[in-house]
Amino acid sequence: MTYGAPDMPMSLPAATEAAVTREDVLRARDRWKVRESRSRGRWLRLLWLLAGPGVLVMLGENDGPSMISYATTGATYGIGFFVPFILLTFVLAFIVQEMTVRLGAVTQRGHAELIFQRFGPFWGYFAMADLVFGNILTLITEFIAIQAGGLYFGVPSWLSVTMGGILVFASLTLRRYWTWERAVMALTAFNLLFVPAALFAHPSGAALAHALVSWGPLPGGVTAGFVTLILSNIGATVTPWMIFFQQSAVVDKGLTKADIAEGRWDTALGTILAAIAAIATVAATAPLFAHHVDVSKLNDGADFATALRPLLGTTGATLFALGIIEAGLVAAMTISTSSAYAFCETFHERHSLNLSFSQGRWFYGVTIFSCLFAGGIVLIPGTPLVALTLTVNVIATLLMAPALVFLLLLINDREIMGDAANGWWSNLAGGATVGAISLVGVFYGVITAIPGLLGK
Amino acid sequence: MRNDPSPVCALEPGQLAAMRAQALPRRKLTQPALIFLGLLRLYVLVAVPIVCYAFVHALMTPQ
Repeated sequence: MTYGAPDMPMSLPAATEAAVTREDVLRARDRWKVRESRSRGRWLRLLWLLAGPGVLVMLGENDGPSMISYATTGATYGIGFFVPFILLTFVLAFIVQEMTVRLGAVTQRGHAELIFQRFGPFWGYFAMADLVFGNILTLITEFIAIQAGGLYFGVPSWLSVTMGGILVFASLTLRRYWTWERAVMALTAFNLLFVPAALFAHPSGAALAHALVSWGPLPGGVTAGFVTLILSNIGATVTPWMIFFQQSAVVDKGLTKADIAEGRWDTALGTILAAIAAIATVAATAPLFAHHVDVSKLNDGADFATALRPLLGTTGATLFALGIIEAGLVAAMTISTSSAYAFCETFHERHSLNLSFSQGRWFYGVTIFSCLFAGGIVLIPGTPLVALTLTVNVIATLLMAPALVFLLLLINDREIMGDAANGWWSNLAGGATVGAISLVGVFYGVITAIPGLLGK
Repeated sequence: MRNDPSPVCALEPGQLAAMRAQALPRRKLTQPALIFLGLLRLYVLVAVPIVCYAFVHALMTPQ
């Protein structure tokens, strides 16, 4: 049997000599179910078994800062140009994430270890460091979201941040990829709380349809603020941690080349659900635009929920605040795990959610430490949280370009990808997407770092 | 039965932890890829100071 490159060092005799670990046994149990479902032609069950990484990554990226970005968009422009635009950004995200499914399933390596092994230590350490640094800062913003959502309900900051941390740690105690994945997937369902919240805003179906068809209206025309929102919405949909997380999760789950089609469906399902939640957030906050509420005074989820209460009612605002807490919590779980995968892949430590605590002390250690650090920063009195959030956006967008370049180089590496490498059309779509996202990311980073570059 | 090897035959050889721990060989880079990576190094040299500037600027900005 071959997968990936036939000349790669993956000989069966060497494998059979090696010790079988707990991680192998747990993954093999999951694979038995997949094999059985495939042989019986039970496609829905097969999809259920193989779904996970795509749904988690897409709904995980609907995180605290992203939902605030969508809320700001709805409150600034209402239902119009940004509805189809947000849909387009999710199409771009799907194109990028689909490549990570193929990379993981074919090479059985995470993104960080592939960069390290194929391009050498300099790029390996750089990719890991830029991801972990960006992830820790992003993690801080997730705990800010949890704290802000809690404040709306009158929960003190220390309690909501502590509860968020405890839930992340509790998810790790499962020590089983499958169980962890299903638990976090159940949590991601709460991302759809933005849909009923939007219904309380009574959005016009005709306005939504008109926006989708005409890409308008665009009140105020093209301004510096409009450009910033365009870029921030792209940054809210495609980020470096998604690439690293989905590829590592695909490997940890045990997807193989035969499962790539189901991996694509999983990613498509996650894309559709996340796009629905994002557009629902725009629709939920559109009444703020209609009532000319000053958006510049709304900094976090609690501010938005409070401003929405007179317009959506208590239930609508409560759903919105709960959605913000969920967004921060799920992202805290997935982003901290993505840091742990990348760190351990680069430093050749064992990395899997199927490991026991003693086997995976570095893996679990990095996850726990990054959450403790991020949660601790949020609780330090006087910490410039708004400044940190701003910096996170700059770092994430500036560091997106290298991540995407390596993604393209790896997916075209026929030595490891074999016939699953990008074809001409895939390269055209992937290359255009990567080029466009990299350019706007750099542009966004520069105009955020140097305010006033575009005027007012 | 924690380490019972029997169900492991459901895995492809490359999925075993021991096999995944083996490093893939270093890629032989073509001229375009080398140019690409050279440009990326330049980009990193420019981007890192911007990131540092943004961070310091944000910290100095009054809340």
